Amino acid sequence: MRNLFVALGLLALMSGCVSSRIEQSRDASTGIETDEAIVLLGRASYNEKETEESFTQCIADALGQGDNPIRMIKQKQFRDELYPWFEPRTAPTSADELGRLFAQPGFRDRIDSANVRYLAWIDGDTVTIDSGGSMSCTISTFGGGCFGMSYWEEDASYDAAIWDLKTMTSTGQISADATGTSYLAGLVIPIPILARPGNAACQGLAKQLREFIIGGT
Amino acid sequence: MYTESLELGLRFQILLRQSLLVLAMTLFLQSCTTSVVVQGTIPTPLVSKIPARMGVYYSDEFKHFKYEEVIRDSGGWSIDLGQQNLSFFQNLAKSVFQGVEEVHEPPLTPEEMQGLDGVLVPSIEKYGFLTPSISGLKFYSASIEYRVSMYDSVGTKIGDWNIVGYGKSEGGMFSSDDAVNEATVLAIRDGGARIAIELIDQPAVQAWLQSLDGSIESPVGTPAAVEAVETPEGLDGVPDA
Repeated sequence: MRNLFVALGLLALMSGCVSSRIEQSRDASTGIETDEAIVLLGRASYNEKETEESFTQCIADALGQGDNPIRMIKQKQFRDELYPWFEPRTAPTSADELGRLFAQPGFRDRIDSANVRYLAWIDGDTVTIDSGGSMSCTISTFGGGCFGMSYWEEDASYDAAIWDLKTMTSTGQISADATGTSYLAGLVIPIPILARPGNAACQGLAKQLREFIIGGT
Repeated sequence: MYTESLELGLRFQILLRQSLLVLAMTLFLQSCTTSVVVQGTIPTPLVSKIPARMGVYYSDEFKHFKYEEVIRDSGGWSIDLGQQNLSFFQNLAKSVFQGVEEVHEPPLTPEEMQGLDGVLVPSIEKYGFLTPSISGLKFYSASIEYRVSMYDSVGTKIGDWNIVGYGKSEGGMFSSDDAVNEATVLAIRDGGARIAIELIDQPAVQAWLQSLDGSIESPVGTPAAVEAVETPEGLDGVPDA
């Protein structure tokens, strides 16, 4: 019986398989000083699809930690400081528009005082692309349990467009695509085997973004 | 006599029961109404000031704007936007114009217009919100439609502009009243951003500013100014949420 619970516990800790792919294209050379900062902004729109704030935060956390931490500026702080220029419907859609923004009074001063070197736009979302199976749970005076199996497949697809605020140009793009299937198996108790494609895309994108920014030609 | 008093007693009992029922229903409905006094922080816009001194009129309706709606699945909602709107617009006007002074309802006398180049009148045309149970989406959303009217120093209308602001908030992070509050603050912020950036670019405003500079001879008669008076312009072509 004890072995059964150990096995069930191990199963619960198992993660579903995730396949991911990261691609990068570079338009210009990059590099960052220790006192310079990056800001990550999630692209927002007013339809159902929108970059989740938790995803942007996940990348910011990954970049701000580790052996070579990069100084990060919080998304909200940046948007508030430069209101109304980075709101969902007023934000620039290409690096060519940066010149117009820098011509606004006080804009350059605020960028300079925060020493923001790069701006990375994160665009994408995680969606469920397939699901199936069935599971039923019953409870009675003699006990209860769940039987069956259900699954769902998620696709996390995100892009990062990196702009250099010093040169006011686009330096490149990175894309991350991860797919994974999660299972919920009912063997008396429900056992989840979760794939986390969103987390895989976050870690992959953060790693590539760090390498891209820290040095490359 | 006995029958009459019995009937009277019975009627009194029915009346009492009905009154209690009405009272209970009223209390029940009141308890099901979600009241939201919209509160939040919206930053001061970082924009070039329009070189004009404006009188700004805030109507009582604008100052105390309250939206009420009964939704079948989620009960009554009472959303008080007044104070948040007023303080945001006061801040917005100060940021957008070189000088601002609160005035009474136009038209103003020439004496009252002394030192002012025009009058701005903001109003709320529409407000609405959607809960996930209505929209079927994962988030709460709010939209607010402002109308901004501008008059020149002699009381001639420069133009009217309708601006729609949108906001949305994830339902899972907040309780329903907090989520509606958050979505409404973001809608005000979005509408304010459009006003701060786009008002100065309107042809009628440009024509009026040129008339202030004296760089054109007959500003009132210019086609742009006339068109702006006759045809309300919308800064926003996006339909309501």
